[in-house]
Amino acid sequence: MKVLRLTLFITALVALLLAACAPATPQVIEKTVEVEKQVVVTQEVVKEVPAERAVVRLSGWAASPEETALLQSLLLDFTAENPDIVVKYEPITGDFWATLKTSIAAGTEPDIYYMDIFQFPAFVQDDVMLPLDDFMAKTGTKKEEFIPSLIDAFSANGKVYGIPKDFNTLGLFYNKDLFAKAGVAEPTDDWTWDDLKAAAQKLSDPANNVYGLGVPADAGRFPIFVFQNGGAIMTPDFQDTLLDAPEAIEAGKFYTSFRAEKIGAIPADVGEGWQGTVFGKGQFAMVYEGGWLIPYLKQQFPNINYGVVTPPAGPEGEGNLIFTVAYVISKNSKNPEAAWRVINYLTSEAAQKKVMESGFALPTRLSLQESDYLKTNPASAAIFRGALQGARPFMWGLVGSDVNDQMTKALERVYLENMSVEESFKQAAEAIRQKLAELK
Amino acid sequence: MTTISHAQPRMLSWSDRLILWYDRLKTPLFYLILILWAIICVAPLYFTLVFSLKPVANAYDPPLFWPIPFTLDNFRDVIGALPLFPRWLLNSLIVSLTVTILRILFCAMGGYAFARMEFPLKGFLFNAMLVSMMIPGQVTLIPAFLVVGPGIIRGGLKIGDITLPTGFGLIDNLGGVILPGIVTAFGVFMMTQFYKSLPRELEEAAMMDGLGRWGIFFRIVLPLSQTQLLTLALLTFQGEWNAFMWPLIILRTPENFTLPLGLNWFRGEYYTLISKVLAGSLFNTLPILILFFIFQRYFVQSIAGSGLKEG
Amino acid sequence: MTTPSTTSMILTARQKARRRREALTAYTFLLPYLFIFLIFTVFSIGYAFYLSFTRYNLLSPPQWWGLEGYRRVLCIESWFPRPENAPKPVCDDLFIRKALPNTFKYTAIVVPAQTLISLVLAFAMDQKIRFRRLFRTIFYLPSVTSSVVISLIFVWLFSPLGVINQIFHLKINWLNDPRYAFYTIMMVNIFTTSGTLMLIFLAGLQDIPITLYEAAAIDGANKFQIFRYITIPMLRPVIFFVVTVGIIGCFQVFDQIYVMTAGGPLDSTTTIAYLIYKWAFRDTTVKMGQASALAFILALIIFVVTMLQRRVIEGSGSVSQ
Repeated sequence: MKVLRLTLFITALVALLLAACAPATPQVIEKTVEVEKQVVVTQEVVKEVPAERAVVRLSGWAASPEETALLQSLLLDFTAENPDIVVKYEPITGDFWATLKTSIAAGTEPDIYYMDIFQFPAFVQDDVMLPLDDFMAKTGTKKEEFIPSLIDAFSANGKVYGIPKDFNTLGLFYNKDLFAKAGVAEPTDDWTWDDLKAAAQKLSDPANNVYGLGVPADAGRFPIFVFQNGGAIMTPDFQDTLLDAPEAIEAGKFYTSFRAEKIGAIPADVGEGWQGTVFGKGQFAMVYEGGWLIPYLKQQFPNINYGVVTPPAGPEGEGNLIFTVAYVISKNSKNPEAAWRVINYLTSEAAQKKVMESGFALPTRLSLQESDYLKTNPASAAIFRGALQGARPFMWGLVGSDVNDQMTKALERVYLENMSVEESFKQAAEAIRQKLAELK
Repeated sequence: MTTISHAQPRMLSWSDRLILWYDRLKTPLFYLILILWAIICVAPLYFTLVFSLKPVANAYDPPLFWPIPFTLDNFRDVIGALPLFPRWLLNSLIVSLTVTILRILFCAMGGYAFARMEFPLKGFLFNAMLVSMMIPGQVTLIPAFLVVGPGIIRGGLKIGDITLPTGFGLIDNLGGVILPGIVTAFGVFMMTQFYKSLPRELEEAAMMDGLGRWGIFFRIVLPLSQTQLLTLALLTFQGEWNAFMWPLIILRTPENFTLPLGLNWFRGEYYTLISKVLAGSLFNTLPILILFFIFQRYFVQSIAGSGLKEG
Repeated sequence: MTTPSTTSMILTARQKARRRREALTAYTFLLPYLFIFLIFTVFSIGYAFYLSFTRYNLLSPPQWWGLEGYRRVLCIESWFPRPENAPKPVCDDLFIRKALPNTFKYTAIVVPAQTLISLVLAFAMDQKIRFRRLFRTIFYLPSVTSSVVISLIFVWLFSPLGVINQIFHLKINWLNDPRYAFYTIMMVNIFTTSGTLMLIFLAGLQDIPITLYEAAAIDGANKFQIFRYITIPMLRPVIFFVVTVGIIGCFQVFDQIYVMTAGGPLDSTTTIAYLIYKWAFRDTTVKMGQASALAFILALIIFVVTMLQRRVIEGSGSVSQ
C-alpha cells in the first residue's frame, strides 16, 4: 500500500512538473521550435535538387540553449544560401578536449571544431589543422579584418590556422553603490595601481565582510598584474618561465598584499567558490572578471548597480589577458572547401553582428568596433576595449596546464601557508622547468 | 525467543546480562541507526528539490527546508529549452533496459559456471577476470572506442582485394553504447560469489531426478537467486542510466544522446546557475527513482519468503 | 551421489565423458562473457599495455619509448635524498609524493567504513523492523542517483555558505581547505556506496538457511555466538566480494574528485586514477603513454592488495556445508 501511495505521489509530482512546462515559455523557445520547422522545409527543398551534397561536421562544446539555438539558426541560414552543403552540428556536451583528442586519435574527428587559444600550441605542433591562407585568398577574406591580437594568436609559422569567432578579456567590475557609499570616485580606464589600492583601502569593511578587491588564486587573473609590471609568465618562445623574475615577484607581492592588508580577499574567505558570486552579493567592491560575468549578474543578481572599466595600468603600462576561441579545419577533413565556406559565413560581419546583439559573445572583427550595440552596452564595450590595449593571449605553450597549476599553487601557498612570495614563485618556476624538461 | 529447555536455573553470566540488555535495547537501537541513516540519505535529495524550486537569485538563501519563494521556472527552462528531452529519455531507457536484461542473464550464466562446474583453465579465467577489473577505464577507453567504431586498423584489414572491417562501426549508434556492457567482470564475479554460498541440496536433488545443467539453471537456480539477480539488475540499470563518459565519445548527433549527455548540454561554458543544475539533476534522477519504487516490491516478496532469522 | 575421487589416476571412460561434457557446458555458459572478454577486455588491456611503452599525445601516432614511461611515473630517483646541487631527475613525482599515499589513505579508511556501515545496516534491516520497504528504498536513494549528480549536490551542500555549514553552525571550507577536502570526498563516497553494499549484504544474509539458526539455538547458543559462528562464516564469500570490490573501487576512485575538486586543493585530493585521467586527457600536452604505465602500476598494486586480503578472508578454505 505504502509503495502504491508513494508511486502515485511521484507520478502526480511528475505530472505537475510536466504540466508546468507547457505554455508561457520565453521567446527563445519559440525560436527553437521555428528552427525545427525550418529544418523540415529546407530539407524538402533540397531533396528536389539531386546535387551531390557535401557533409560538413561541426563540433563545439555545450553552450546555453539560447546560444545553441542562435548557432543553429545561423547554420540554417547558411544552408539556405548554400544548398550543396549540409552542416551537421554535433555538440560535445562534456569534457570537450578529451573527447576531441580521442576522436583525433581514432581518426574520426569532425571537419570543423572549436579551438581554444590555450590548447592551440599542441595542435599546431602535431600539425592536425589545415592552414587557411589559401582559402582566405579565394574568398577575399583578409587577415586585417580581424582584431590583430586575436588572429595573430591563431597564426603560426606565418600561416593562419584558425579564424577567431569570439573573445573575452578581463575588466575591472566595480559596485557603484559601494563606491557612492564610501565616497570614492568611480574608476576610469586611466586608473593605475595606486588608484586601485587607495580605493580598496577606502572601500573595505572587514568587520562587515566587505572587501575592496577580490584577489583569488586564479591563473586566469593574476598574470595581468605581471604584464602591467613589465614582466611575462613565459619567454616569447615558451621554452622557459619568467615567473621567478623580479617583475613577476613584485607583481605577486602587490597582488597578495591586498589580502594581507585586509583590503582584499579570496572567495573562500567569505564562504564562496567564485568571486563573481561574491561581487553579485556586494561583498567585493571590485573584481577582475571577464565578459561572462555580465549575463551571470543579469540572471542571478539583477539588482546590482555596477560598471566596468579596463584594468588599471601598472608601473610599466597596461596589460590584459585574451580568452579566445577560433574555428579550425581538421587536416583529415574530406570537404575542406565546404568547411571553409561554413567558417567564412559564421565569422562574417553579418553573423558576428547577430551574435553580438544577442549578448552572447564579442565579435572579432575590427569593423564592429563602433557598432551601436557596444555604444549602448558600456560593460561589453569595456571588455571589447581590453583586447586593444596591451592584451596577451591566455596561452603558455605546450605545458600550459602545468603553468596554470603552478601559478595557482604558488598563490595558494602564499595565502594558505603564509609562504613568502619569492619562495613560492621560485618553487613554481622550478616545477614548470621540470615539466618543460619532460617534454624532451 | 526460543525456549531453552534446561531444568535448572543458573546464575546470569556477564554475557547473559549483555544479551538481555541487547534484547531489550536492540529494537530501539536498530530503529535509531536506521532512522539516522535514512535522514542522511534523504537530506541531499530533499535539499536539491527545495532549492530547485527556488528562483535562481535565491540559490543560497534561507529558508533551507521549504521552497520559499516558490517557482517552477527552473524545471520549465530545463524541459522547455530542450525539445529533445523525451527522445533522450527514450534513448536512455533503451540502453539501460537492454543492457540490464542481457547482463543479468549472461552474468548469471557465467557465475553459475564458475561456482558449480569444473573445467580446464577455470582458475586462470577467474583470476584473469578479477585482474581485468583492476585496470582503470581511462586507458582502455581509446582501444574500446576503436573496436566499437572505426576499427583497430585504420582503413580496414586489406587481404588481397578484400578490405575487412576491424571494428563494429557502431559510432553514433545506441548499439555502440550497449555492446561493451552486456556482460561485465563485476557482474560475473558477483554472481559467482552468490552462487557459491547457495546451498546445493536442491540442485543435487534435481540432478538425481535427471535434470541437466541447463534445466537446473533455468528452473531452479535462476528463480532461487531472484534477489541477487534483482540486485545486479538494479546496479546495472542505474550504472547504465547514469553513464556519461562512454556515451559521450560514442554518440554524436543530439537526437541520439542519452539523458545525462542531453542534460549536460545546457550548462554554459563560463557560469553555472546552480538552481538549474539542481533541477536538471533531479530530472536525471526522477525516472530511475520511479522505476525503483515500482520494482522494489519484488525485493520485499523475496525477503518475506525466506522468513525471519530471530524469534 | 558421491563423486569419484579425482586424485585417483584411473578414470573410467564414463567419468572422462562426464568431465568433457561438463567442461563443454561450462564453456557454453561462459560464451557471452568470453566473447566480450576477448574482444574488449583482452584487446583493450593489451593495447593499453602496448601504449605504456610508448610516448603518445593522441594527436600524433605513438612512438616507442621503452621503459621511459614507467621510469617517469615511478620517479625512483626522487625516493632517495639527493645532494643539493644534483640535477633534478626528469620525472613527475606527483605519483609517489601525493597520488600513492592519498590513494592508500583513502582505501584504508573508506573500505572498512563502508563495509562496516553497510553490514550493520543490512543486519538491522534483517530484523523484525516495520517500514522495512520504506527504509530500503531510502537507503538505496544515494546509489540510484548518478555519482556525478551526487557530487554536484554535495559541492553545493558543502560549499562554505551551504546547508551543512548553516545547519551545524560551522565555518569550514570543506572542499577548498587542504585539510578537509579529502575527508569530504570520503564522506561522499561512503554515502553513495553504503546503500548498494547494504543490498548485497542483505541478499547474502537471506541465503543463510533458518535451519542453521534453529539448530544453533537448540544447542544453547546465544545471539553473539550465533552471529560469530554462523552468520559471519556463512557470509564469507559475500564479505570477500564486498571487500574486494571495495578495494578495487577505492583504488580507482575518480568520479567525485573529477566533479568536486579536480585533484586540489594543493593536490590533497589527487588519487592515482585522477592522475591517470589528468595525464591522459587534461594536460595541454597529453601523456597517454605515461598514463598507461601508471594504470598498470595501479593494477599491480590492487592485485597485490587483493591477494593479501583474500588470504585473510577466504584463506582457510571455502565454507563447507
